[in-house]
Amino acid sequence: MMREITYTTAAREALAEEMARDPSIFVVGEGIGARGGNFNTTLGLYDLYGPMRLRDTPIVERGFVGMCTGAAMTGSRPVVDFMFFDFILDSFGELFNQTSKMQYMSSGRLKMPIVLRGCIGIGGSSATHHSGSYYPIFVHIPGFRVVMPTNPYDAKGLFKTALRGDDPVLFLEHKSLLNVKGHVPEEDYSIPFGQAAIVREGTQATVVALGSMVRLVEKAAETLASEGISIEIIDPRTLAPLDIDTILQSVQKTGRLLIVDETFAPCGIGSEISSQVMEKGFDDLDAPVMRLNGLHTPTPYSPALEAAVVPNPQTILQSIRDLLAE
Amino acid sequence: MPDEVTKEHALTLWRQMLMIRRTEEQLAKSYAGGMIPGACHTYVGEEAVATGVCANLNHEDAVFSTHRGHGHALAKGVPPREVVAELFGRVTGCSRGRGGSMHLFSPEVGMMGTSGIVGPCILQATGAGYTFKLLNKPNVGVAFFGDGAMNNGAFHEGLNLAAIWDLPVIFVCEDNMYATEVPFAYATKNQDVAARARTYGMPGYSLDGNDVLAVYEAANEAVQRARSGGGPSLLHCKTYRTRPHAEGMRDAGYRTTEEVESWRQRDPIVTLRDKLLTENIAEEGDFEEIESEIKAIVEDAAEFAKNSPYPDPATAAEHIYSV
Amino acid sequence: MATEIVMPRLGWTMEEGVLVEWLKNDGDPVKVGEIIFTVESDKALNEVEAFESGILFIPPDSPPLGTTIPVGGLLAYLVQPGEALPSVKSAISSSVKIDEQPRAVAASGFQAVSKSNGLPAISPRARRIAHELGIDWTALTGSGRTGRIVERDVRAALESRKSAPVIPTPQPVEISPVARRAAEELGVDLAALGAKMPGKRITREDVERAAEFRSPVSASADEKRIPVSRIRSVIAERMSASAHTTAPVTLTTEVDATELVKLRKQLKGDSSANTRPVPSYNDLLAKLCAVALEEHPMLNARLEGNEIVMSSAAHIGFAVDTERGLLVPVIPNVGSKNLRQIAAESAALVEGARAGTLKSDVASTFTITNLGMYEIDAFTPIINLPECAILGVGRIQAKQVVIDADAELLAIRHMMFLSLTFDHRLVDGAPAARFLQRVKQFIEQPYLWLIG
Repeated sequence: MMREITYTTAAREALAEEMARDPSIFVVGEGIGARGGNFNTTLGLYDLYGPMRLRDTPIVERGFVGMCTGAAMTGSRPVVDFMFFDFILDSFGELFNQTSKMQYMSSGRLKMPIVLRGCIGIGGSSATHHSGSYYPIFVHIPGFRVVMPTNPYDAKGLFKTALRGDDPVLFLEHKSLLNVKGHVPEEDYSIPFGQAAIVREGTQATVVALGSMVRLVEKAAETLASEGISIEIIDPRTLAPLDIDTILQSVQKTGRLLIVDETFAPCGIGSEISSQVMEKGFDDLDAPVMRLNGLHTPTPYSPALEAAVVPNPQTILQSIRDLLAE
Repeated sequence: MPDEVTKEHALTLWRQMLMIRRTEEQLAKSYAGGMIPGACHTYVGEEAVATGVCANLNHEDAVFSTHRGHGHALAKGVPPREVVAELFGRVTGCSRGRGGSMHLFSPEVGMMGTSGIVGPCILQATGAGYTFKLLNKPNVGVAFFGDGAMNNGAFHEGLNLAAIWDLPVIFVCEDNMYATEVPFAYATKNQDVAARARTYGMPGYSLDGNDVLAVYEAANEAVQRARSGGGPSLLHCKTYRTRPHAEGMRDAGYRTTEEVESWRQRDPIVTLRDKLLTENIAEEGDFEEIESEIKAIVEDAAEFAKNSPYPDPATAAEHIYSV
Repeated sequence: MATEIVMPRLGWTMEEGVLVEWLKNDGDPVKVGEIIFTVESDKALNEVEAFESGILFIPPDSPPLGTTIPVGGLLAYLVQPGEALPSVKSAISSSVKIDEQPRAVAASGFQAVSKSNGLPAISPRARRIAHELGIDWTALTGSGRTGRIVERDVRAALESRKSAPVIPTPQPVEISPVARRAAEELGVDLAALGAKMPGKRITREDVERAAEFRSPVSASADEKRIPVSRIRSVIAERMSASAHTTAPVTLTTEVDATELVKLRKQLKGDSSANTRPVPSYNDLLAKLCAVALEEHPMLNARLEGNEIVMSSAAHIGFAVDTERGLLVPVIPNVGSKNLRQIAAESAALVEGARAGTLKSDVASTFTITNLGMYEIDAFTPIINLPECAILGVGRIQAKQVVIDADAELLAIRHMMFLSLTFDHRLVDGAPAARFLQRVKQFIEQPYLWLIG
């Protein structure tokens, strides 16, 4: 049976169902206990499971990330809820030198079943300490999985896989998607990592859209369709592992590729996709691969400035038109 | 020192300390002979701390160590063969050649890693304590770190978290007075380390780190407290390393030969032996027997390591993920 | 057992040190921890302690003071009281130098694209499709924003070619294939020529005469202009390079190919081989040349800077005449293939060459060019750079030849000329002649190379 629920509700359902199934899962973060989370990520769970499994923390990101790394090594399955993903930056030392390397250093005898979740993205004048995405950095480092669902169905299915797996997973939820509603079955299901979704089929150009950009690109595709132009849209869903094959097959069909990503261009996901397509699909390219990114700048506060640093439907449309003209 | 010391208990501790000492001496020799491609930070002089604490632990308790961690690995139960082979970079090492001195792993005996970064072991031991409390296990997490970690953020955050949640953790500071060449006295305004335990709200012990019986007693109390739900403790063990910070490094400029010599006089292995002989708890023969047993074990370890193969380069990218 | 005292490793990067001074004498007792000698490394003086107790034994051939000794080098021994002194020439200390880490595999790079030579820009996709469809893209104009030729331009060209109006000829022009080819090469308008001599079958002579009589002042009606195609310009460049770089010498010999003809006849007459291609003369020649090249590797070579690079495998190219010009497809590793495989591969390659779908994978190491079908006997083929030799094959013609001069015996034999051009920079006349002689022998006695 399908019902329409919000992205937040879908993700929370995944968490609740897994916590009921597995008593070694516990959540750690600021305000995720009795309050139920700043973004309602754990609403109602504290009453069910109490403080040992819904653990409010002091403001010590390095501390509780390091702690959860040790916990994951010794038999429990922590979920670290950063609230705003920007707060993860204080824990980079623990994440990059310890969490991501533990399985390798122990030759696979230790697992690292830790999920690191937080809300990303620009909007609502959150300004530069509450608008970050930063995920390309995690894609670059060996040992992490990076997951970025863009709708409720994917959110629940991917969160399940994250909670059931034994690898460190960054689970990234764009703030603008939290209240988006979508169809979600009641039956149990999960979505494997490394499978992109073809959001819309088309023939003249392929647009890979990340996170919040998917919905904006869909709008652009509608406009173009009314002009007789057919665009294919791909949502990678997971960035590590990345399903490059789906993208390559699409480019084989269309010959043209644009990657739309809210976050910065230098060393971003667009660079990686572009490089891989150039290496593996060179002879399928009818035009250079193009990228549309947010501006390479800290995020400003004033709405007029904030709007100027992210792709919008007009700039997306123009980029697609430019790509077709190449 | 406690009054009643049984011969068996004392000799067990003495044997463990000697095992660490002879293995470290072998490693220093092997390093000079070019057998160790990476770094080697020896534990010579500090054996009583690892021995006294780990004698209270079992394989399900989790130890998290630092860059000077061979003593902890050996005391926790990693065989000398595996430690030496690991430093030689061979596949038979406890970390299969992937880690070397600063990434010794043997989860099978609860050795959860030495580390090249100062601080994280404190947080990870706290995490182990969280797991044991969550899953209702009677086990403890133990962090070994030096005076150099005492002013690191991880110390502050880790001790505080363990205290507010009453976690079964023992924090063991091996204060050998220097972080490489930086004196603790320079890096710390308030030299009263015992006060720190109080500040974070946990019991603290200020110990002669070269008295293995004293360390054993204090650790015993701390472990019991933790296992019974009484929360964490801080052990501040004053000790000394008589070899340089790392093999191959010059030991000059930051301490005097007189200071080193004075601590040699307080060698934990010699002092325990003297005490046991003086108090007629043990005889010369007991020590000689242990000496030759350990000598054979360590020589075998070196030979084993020397003859072990290197890991297959084709496996270099394995075990990044679980899937 | 005696303990070795060696040059110690006193630092991460130390590889050798200077033995400065012995602080104990030969025969002195030594306790653990005592300083026994000093070493200089990296401008610093280091004291070295003993790891064992014992009696110091400095052998007579121990390195003298002031010598630089590598880490691990043997200096002396510590022996136990009553122990025999180790023999002076004992084994060197076993301090193993750990091999450097193998270098990480470099990320795959790309070959530099050939330099632009005034040709328009084209996308990789469009280039591939043009190749597949047999469209000459160099003549197209690109509709890409920067003038690049893109897929749509190539497909548009295909459409217009299909729907192009057929130029009506008043009468069909009868012309020999040779004459047609000549007309193309010389730029003679066949329709116009045909109109001038109605009813006559146009020969090569007619075409050549027509070309000769073209007036230097170009009246456009009598002339035909063909833009130099990509293939033609590549051929022109390569032929020119070969002519200017190599020192070509052509050896000719007349060969009794009777046995080869017999062999081919048998293969052709095998009705069970209906579906499979019958090995052609070229296939037979390729195989026997590959065997001969194994014995004469100097002919299977190329010049690279200061080195002659000899290939152990023979990758044989054979010249194929196509509409667009001369192509040289390659059969790799001929030596390791049997005749059936060679025949199948060469048939596929010829078809590919004519259809324009060839993809060049392997560079040839030796080329065969056969003009026998055009009744040519001997000629001077041009070396296919960077190879060092090319074998020209003439027609097989039945002739009366002397079998036994003394007995004055004549017979009809199938004779064939071979013309081997070789690069005298790499190979001298005698070795080249010996190779040709062997090829001749193989043709005359096929059993020798058929064994495999």
